[in-house]
Amino acid sequence: MNELATTATLLGVFVLVLLAGGLWVALALMAVGLATIFLMVSVPPGAVMATTIWGSVNSWDLAALPMFIWMGEILFRTKLAEDMFTGLAPWMRRVPGRLFHVNVLGCAIFAAVSGSSAATTATIGRMSLPELKRRGYDERMAIGTLAGSGTLGLLIPPSIILIVYGAATEQSIARLFIAGIMPGIMLAVLFMGYCAIWALVQRDRMPVPDERVPYLTRLWQTRRLFPVLALIAGVIGSIYGGFASPTEAAVVGVVLALLLSAFSGTLTRASFMDALRQATRTSCMIVLILAGAAVLTVAMGYTGIPRELAAFIGSLELSPYALLAALTLFFVVLGCFLDGISIVVLTTSVILPMIEAAGLDIIWFGIYLVLVVEMSQITPPVGFNLFVLQGLTGYNILKIARMTLPFFLLMIIAVVLVVAFPQIALWLPQTMLSR
Amino acid sequence: MRQFLDGLYRVAEWAAMAALCAIAVLVFAQVSGRVFDTLLVMTGSSPYGFLIPSLAEIAGFLLVGASFLALAGSFRAGSHIRVTLALMHLPEKVRRASETTALALAAFLSGLLAFYTARLAWDSFVYGEKSFGIIAVPLSLPQGVMALGALVFAIATIDDLVATLRGGRPTSIAKEEEGAGDVA
Repeated sequence: MNELATTATLLGVFVLVLLAGGLWVALALMAVGLATIFLMVSVPPGAVMATTIWGSVNSWDLAALPMFIWMGEILFRTKLAEDMFTGLAPWMRRVPGRLFHVNVLGCAIFAAVSGSSAATTATIGRMSLPELKRRGYDERMAIGTLAGSGTLGLLIPPSIILIVYGAATEQSIARLFIAGIMPGIMLAVLFMGYCAIWALVQRDRMPVPDERVPYLTRLWQTRRLFPVLALIAGVIGSIYGGFASPTEAAVVGVVLALLLSAFSGTLTRASFMDALRQATRTSCMIVLILAGAAVLTVAMGYTGIPRELAAFIGSLELSPYALLAALTLFFVVLGCFLDGISIVVLTTSVILPMIEAAGLDIIWFGIYLVLVVEMSQITPPVGFNLFVLQGLTGYNILKIARMTLPFFLLMIIAVVLVVAFPQIALWLPQTMLSR
Repeated sequence: MRQFLDGLYRVAEWAAMAALCAIAVLVFAQVSGRVFDTLLVMTGSSPYGFLIPSLAEIAGFLLVGASFLALAGSFRAGSHIRVTLALMHLPEKVRRASETTALALAAFLSGLLAFYTARLAWDSFVYGEKSFGIIAVPLSLPQGVMALGALVFAIATIDDLVATLRGGRPTSIAKEEEGAGDVA
């Protein structure tokens, strides 16, 4: 154990040095995996690398990844973001907190199609922040809601990060998707509840409401959102009902997104090629990270470090709660400098045996992991989404972190709830019709 | 030379995009077939039994092709992520040295990747390994494409390394700095 502990520490330091030195994440994972096999095991590292990567990328389930990314890229180019504000705003007039809810709902819908919290925060923020400011809304709350909500949609399927987790741990992507729905909605409700309460307490800091818009006009302004909502519902519904695998649902999503884009007049040769090219690049980036992580996972398996670690943690006889508390802290620290997908693949290769040994459900752990990882993206003093907002508003990061703090605390509440009541995540998958 | 290399990256990326399109077309055809069959059953006729043989396997192969052929293009577009937080706070000289080292490592690793995937493909070819599905695809074919993509990737990293050593800005990093903030 002692010798392994030393090795594990050295490897950990090696990973950090490579990452901090600016080596591309996927290659850093691969390098550490190769070095581990080369130094510690008597198998040919190169051959193991090639077969492992082949095995991890050659996958029907993983084909859902580029398809969902492509669907998102097509929808990005349909003026979805612009429609979001005009479409949602008139419905929120009577709700306490009014247009703050547009931030939350807009992010939820947008993240459902994009699967990236940074992209969600940037896209929705670029459009809603100036609008909220112009109408005299409290800027602190506007930025806070945006930072918080940017992260929540990653739980709402189709979630790219859950596909990555499913591929890395060989879990059913369909079940993961369905498991993410309730926690995602719960988080949105928490955020919206906070906005409402804040608005009721700080009544004098809310601007005068806009003119009432008649129902028919509202419906007209929202018309372009309905097809998108229908698309998301269709994709999730067909997976839930067992009519389609995630890959099939994703492809249908692509086709419908193309139709939608054609109807809204944004489908041109250039926009089609643009979306396809961007999807190809992004999915290539993620697949390479998965491939690198697969090499690392196999290397770790050879060394026995994860097994030993699991046994060691087991010998401490921690309660699952203590273990999860320690892990949460660990992920939040990692989130200071790594993006969500990298954290997921980096940690699953080492800690998964530990989770299994602790008797935790792997699907549930995926939801917990995504929740915590997303929380880490808005953690002061450093976090990815905070940087995006810094770029958007020009405020310094600490100021933004302060504005985001209430939402960070709400996320902690969400994590506690999901830990205390695992059924929040696990109930819905149990009711799935097949598969 | 410059023109040839840029052309090479572009062709590889087009092939990757075509592979993604192929996945979409094949899977959509399969889904439509199933929907059509369901409609047939609902109207009381017997199902046609529309099926694309070995679709799951072929989609996997196409995904490998798409992912590896896209490596060079996405690398040069700055789509691949890395941690720049520490680098940002380093003095210009140290940062450059660190980036050059990272590029050298990337070139080395992608070279290894190209070599060993090529050997995997070669072994599959020599032993005549085939996939298990209804359509038995020789594994050397998709593995060969994987090796090809890895090779173009290796060329792209060396290309950038050379550019840096000559004192220029490597394309991958320059593009990243332009704000390729659209990565996931």
